[in-house]
Amino acid sequence: MILHLLNRSPATGGTVDDALAAMGPDDRLLLIEDGVLGALPAQVARFTGLTGRLFALREDLAARGLLERCEEQANIVDVDGFVTLTEEADKTVSWS
Amino acid sequence: MNETESAIDKGEVEGKVEGKVEGIAKGDLLVILRHSPHGSSWLREGLDAALVAAAFGQQVSLLFAGDGVLALMPHQQAGALGQKGTHGVIDMLAMYDIETLLVDAHALTSRGLSAEDLMLPVSVVEGDALPKLLDRHPLVLNF
Amino acid sequence: MASSEIYRYLSVQDKDIALDPEGFLVDMADWSPAVAEALAAEEERTLTAEHWEVIEVLRNFYARYEMAPAMRPLVKAVGLALGAEKGKSLHLMRLFPDSPAKVGARLAGLPKPANCL
Repeated sequence: MILHLLNRSPATGGTVDDALAAMGPDDRLLLIEDGVLGALPAQVARFTGLTGRLFALREDLAARGLLERCEEQANIVDVDGFVTLTEEADKTVSWS
Repeated sequence: MNETESAIDKGEVEGKVEGKVEGIAKGDLLVILRHSPHGSSWLREGLDAALVAAAFGQQVSLLFAGDGVLALMPHQQAGALGQKGTHGVIDMLAMYDIETLLVDAHALTSRGLSAEDLMLPVSVVEGDALPKLLDRHPLVLNF
Repeated sequence: MASSEIYRYLSVQDKDIALDPEGFLVDMADWSPAVAEALAAEEERTLTAEHWEVIEVLRNFYARYEMAPAMRPLVKAVGLALGAEKGKSLHLMRLFPDSPAKVGARLAGLPKPANCL
């Protein structure tokens, strides 16, 4: 299982598509930095295939004032959760 | 360089042994190149990472995806202000025994290109094989 | 990478050749066989026909790829140009002890190989 990290906004640019195209059926996606915009209701439809495998970093959501606007489909994790996700993965791949 | 001579000479032979398993490329390191030449330094940095790894005997696979496929266009030149392109490095990959050159099929078709248009022979990877490709390399670097 | 910083000068045939802190040419256009001899003499190396043919391989490599080769591609390039017998790290280590890629690049007037620690 690979943990994919996306730090670009899915609302601008195609990095999110590159990441999704490379993800295997068990891989997880963690949205960080500007990537957390993907957890907004208007964007989250891109990730419908990732039920239970989509995560967003609490600190980056909070910093952007987006914590309360986040869609339930994204599991919110804090930095400790980030570490746990990393430990559970065989490797991480960053998309930026 | 801190390679021993035996490691280098051995590497010369070993580089050819494991190429593909069940049609999917395998190696120590997969470098994904998603940016075009000239527009930014991403492509050059990715290629540099690949060269360093190869110089130390790692078996490197390159995946050209997105605008990264433009790195393989023939007849590239220096930029308008004389900036060096990356085509010299592409040409040099074989000297570093980097011979697993993969191109994302969608990246080609969405740009109206085919493998025959490119400056080097490549293996085209269909979309559904991408996850396996990442899985088969212990280390994946994304540029 | 090549450094543009002038650290010192080497006098070759009445001309001052600018060198960077690691002894590489500041201006690649300054290179000549006489400069190579002078650089070699500094390190108490004497260039033989076997050295010169490798220097030529190095200069051809740079002319084609715009980069100085690390050890591995140098071994390969020498093998392709001069035959498998010479395309061995042992042969290059004997000609250019310590670090063939770095020493060879310096004598050939190339920048320091980038991916060579």
